[in-house]
Amino acid sequence: MSYLDLLMAQQEEVSEAEGGGGGVWVVADVVDGAVAPVTLEALGAARTLADALGAYVYGVLLGSGVSDQAQLLYQAGADGVRVVDDPALAQFATAPFLKVLSDLFAEEQPEVVLFGATEMGQALAPRLAQQMSGGLIEHAATLSLDEETRTVQGAVPIYGGEFFEVLACPQARPQFLTVEPGALGAPFLDRYRSGEPTALDVTLAEPDVRILGPAEGFEPPAVPLAQAPVIVAAGRQAGDFALVQRLAAALGGRVAGDRGARDAGWIEADQVIDVRGVTVSPDVYVAVGIRGDTFHNAAIEAAKFVLAIHPDPEAPIFALADLCIEGNPAEVVPALLEALG
Amino acid sequence: MRIIVILGRVLDPAGITINQRAGRIFVNREEYVIQPADRCALEVALRIKDATAAEVVVLPRGPLPDDDILRQALAIGADRAVYFTRERFKADEAVMVRLLEAAIDRLGGADLVLTGATTLDSGQGQLGPRMAAALDWPQILDAWQAEVVDGAVQAVRQDGTGYVTVEAALPAVVTVVPGAVKPRYPDGVRLVNIYKNVGEIAAALERWEVTDLVGVDMLVPLVERRGQDFPPPRERGVRLSGAPDEVAVAAAQALQKRMNG
Repeated sequence: MSYLDLLMAQQEEVSEAEGGGGGVWVVADVVDGAVAPVTLEALGAARTLADALGAYVYGVLLGSGVSDQAQLLYQAGADGVRVVDDPALAQFATAPFLKVLSDLFAEEQPEVVLFGATEMGQALAPRLAQQMSGGLIEHAATLSLDEETRTVQGAVPIYGGEFFEVLACPQARPQFLTVEPGALGAPFLDRYRSGEPTALDVTLAEPDVRILGPAEGFEPPAVPLAQAPVIVAAGRQAGDFALVQRLAAALGGRVAGDRGARDAGWIEADQVIDVRGVTVSPDVYVAVGIRGDTFHNAAIEAAKFVLAIHPDPEAPIFALADLCIEGNPAEVVPALLEALG
Repeated sequence: MRIIVILGRVLDPAGITINQRAGRIFVNREEYVIQPADRCALEVALRIKDATAAEVVVLPRGPLPDDDILRQALAIGADRAVYFTRERFKADEAVMVRLLEAAIDRLGGADLVLTGATTLDSGQGQLGPRMAAALDWPQILDAWQAEVVDGAVQAVRQDGTGYVTVEAALPAVVTVVPGAVKPRYPDGVRLVNIYKNVGEIAAALERWEVTDLVGVDMLVPLVERRGQDFPPPRERGVRLSGAPDEVAVAAAQALQKRMNG
């Protein structure tokens, strides 16, 4: 933040006091003692909103041994940071975190509160919104501002991102939003920005949900191939099927194939991706040595991302794939396995 | 023991096409189904009912133009269902929480509220925790399974790569992830009877006037829709060239980005 920006923020503070708004607040997600990337993304977005609103950006950092992370929040755009560093907050639990934030926000009356759309954000944002009669927009992928009414608009993915609906809560204050991790982009970290965080004096509530221990013998139900999020499929040109299986294991995906793979005896009939077999809609589909006939390509039309590896540059699969590698799968797949670690 | 299951309906995605270039949604077949996560919540409730002889009451998560999904829920095995009647009433989660809270009060209270952790279309999961806040009950979100043991609810949740069992004292709110359990099918005889309005089951579907539960001034949604936005069309056919090692690194980065985002 430049001196000019600072000057502008200070000048705007007067109107801020008249309007009674309480700034843009970001509640930090802490993973393994470090601030999560989604928090920095939210701070970057909060900075932009606050500059347009003429408000300050505040970060809230709750956890155990997290005090030294506060500077990172300043670097990402916070003007003030509130910290509660307590061993009892080492692991996220709804009741103690909720108590700290509801007391804090009851006093500060924020105008906008951003959370990451993570376990913590999804547990706390709705509860705080309900307690404070605030509006909540979940999983916002982009944020924009309606300056006239000081309303933050969030674009929410519908049917998993096929399109977005733009939502706003013009009447309710505070406006709560949870932001989708990875959607807003990482902010510029200004290494010359720093500040003195304020430690909050709080009495912590006891958790109302007890963890009894690992769920012995629990197995989540098997996902049918049609709904699998990651699929690695083999075709006639795959060469070594064991490599395809290793790639599927490395990506945590399911093994499948086209009719050629079925003819080669690599897969069973219920693993054939084809409009006459299984139609799929995975997030990631890797086609190894699949030429891609009409029936196969129609069956993967709904896939969100397709990586195709095939030696023939004219293979029809390349017209459908997002990323194409012309090459022999026997050479490319081992290199890919190595690159994936 | 009384279990409340809150369920909603969703336009079956198999019947719609989204044309991103035209920026329009085409509804080819207008067919509504119970939200998949809510249907799993109903199944969890029915399993608790099988084990403890609880009463399962179904309430809607939003305004419904017809009572179809409530009839389906009754055919699947719920004991009672309440349809909120009011012409063209609009509601978001904040309004529904007030309405549901009043409805639970009129039912004479509840011990457990179950609902889906997320909706299939808009991905919103705020109804469960908002209910927990309004009722001031503990919440367990994203459960894979739940059962009632000695006046407490025990649920299985994902914790990192493993699963843990957690426990909260009743009354409590539990939300269930979609696909957590295999829901049972409706019973044929019950399905016919509920649509023909014959037998005991017909009386299980009650109609309550919204304004008897909450004041008209409470029926003001906070969330406003301000249009739609379509993502840019996908850029297909991007070719990677170079030695296998180099293209593999670029491809691995692209894959990892997709899988983590």
